[in-house]
Amino acid sequence: MPDPNESSDLQQAMHDRLGRLRAMPVDASRLEQALQSHLPQRPGDLRGRLPFLRLNPLRAMAASVLILGVLTAVLVSSFTGPVLASPAQMAQLHNDLVSGRAPVMQVDSIESANRTLAGQSPQSPAIPSLPEDHAMACCMQSVKNKKVACVLLKKEGVPITMTVANAADMRLPKSPTITRNGVTYHVQSHGPLNMLMTERNGRWVCLIGESQPDRLMDIADQLQF
Amino acid sequence: MNQQAAIRRFYAEIWPLRDVVLRTAQILAGNVPDAEDLAQETLLKAFRFIDTFRTGTDAKAWLLAILRNTRLDRLRIRGSAGHISLDEMAGDPADEAYEVEQSVWERPADVLNKFSDAEVIHALQALPEEIRWTLLLVDVEEIDHVEAARMLEAPVGTIKSRAHRGRQMLRTALLPLARDRRLVREPNRG
Repeated sequence: MPDPNESSDLQQAMHDRLGRLRAMPVDASRLEQALQSHLPQRPGDLRGRLPFLRLNPLRAMAASVLILGVLTAVLVSSFTGPVLASPAQMAQLHNDLVSGRAPVMQVDSIESANRTLAGQSPQSPAIPSLPEDHAMACCMQSVKNKKVACVLLKKEGVPITMTVANAADMRLPKSPTITRNGVTYHVQSHGPLNMLMTERNGRWVCLIGESQPDRLMDIADQLQF
Repeated sequence: MNQQAAIRRFYAEIWPLRDVVLRTAQILAGNVPDAEDLAQETLLKAFRFIDTFRTGTDAKAWLLAILRNTRLDRLRIRGSAGHISLDEMAGDPADEAYEVEQSVWERPADVLNKFSDAEVIHALQALPEEIRWTLLLVDVEEIDHVEAARMLEAPVGTIKSRAHRGRQMLRTALLPLARDRRLVREPNRG
């Protein structure tokens, strides 16, 4: 709105000309692309979850061939024995989830994460529940070709990734252990991240976060299988 | 607010305004790479501080306030923050030169519409930062004087005065171009 005290044509003309800048077209595509790597996905955005939807037909075909190859590799490897997840791999998995680099699905509870993951992959190992879980996102990942279900939690403001696999698929590391309430936990670290691995009820569980191992153990204590 | 709600709110209320942020950044920065960088930082801050955005308030004004602070921080780092006083502004209405300048614009709307957006933006670049912000808020984005005054931390009267002076200064900055193209009447000499 122009100043009501200004009646001059000159003032009004300049006000109107500046107002036309509002219609100036801008190309926000590069900005959007740059922001995508820093912001979490828009809820319900299938393109973010399924990157091949953005590919042209030729690339989509190449991606299909690649996916077929990966699936074959997974099938072949599923007949091999249990694998050992390195701390660097688990740290990478956690960092990808926290930064939004990994395609995830937004959830608001572990229960909804289990529903979502089961819908995506019927063989998905069930994630044990937690009271007041503060689940934010979930996804299926692969560690040395073994499927792992991941859920990103927030505990006291700190992001924690809980990764679950079938116990038959994963080996526990030869790292220092702590036993609490009859359960043995293997403790590892990678940079600022601490990791706690254990096996319970036929499932391999790994908790990763910047919290101290004791705090991770408090969370692990509350897991309900 | 939980993370889910924050994400939903950001995409519902802030994301649709990304063009406004980028356009304003382009007018301020004068080049696309700097503008994209400034707009990106602004939108990331908006996401980080989405908890502080009050529902029912003007999202555009909130976002432009973040853009302004981000821009000022950058100018401070470069040592070129444009704090000016009214005394430093050119184009006093009582000035004889201004009277002459005013008299040459016969059909100002027609003349001003002959300038491209790029030419107007280039002229805006020559204005002091606070004047430019006043014109951006009041004239380009049509934010009311009271809200603009709150955002620019100045009395409403000062905003009105800056808008008035800013338009004069912008006209003066465009005058050489208008003369080159013979769009204005030359004043009688002698």
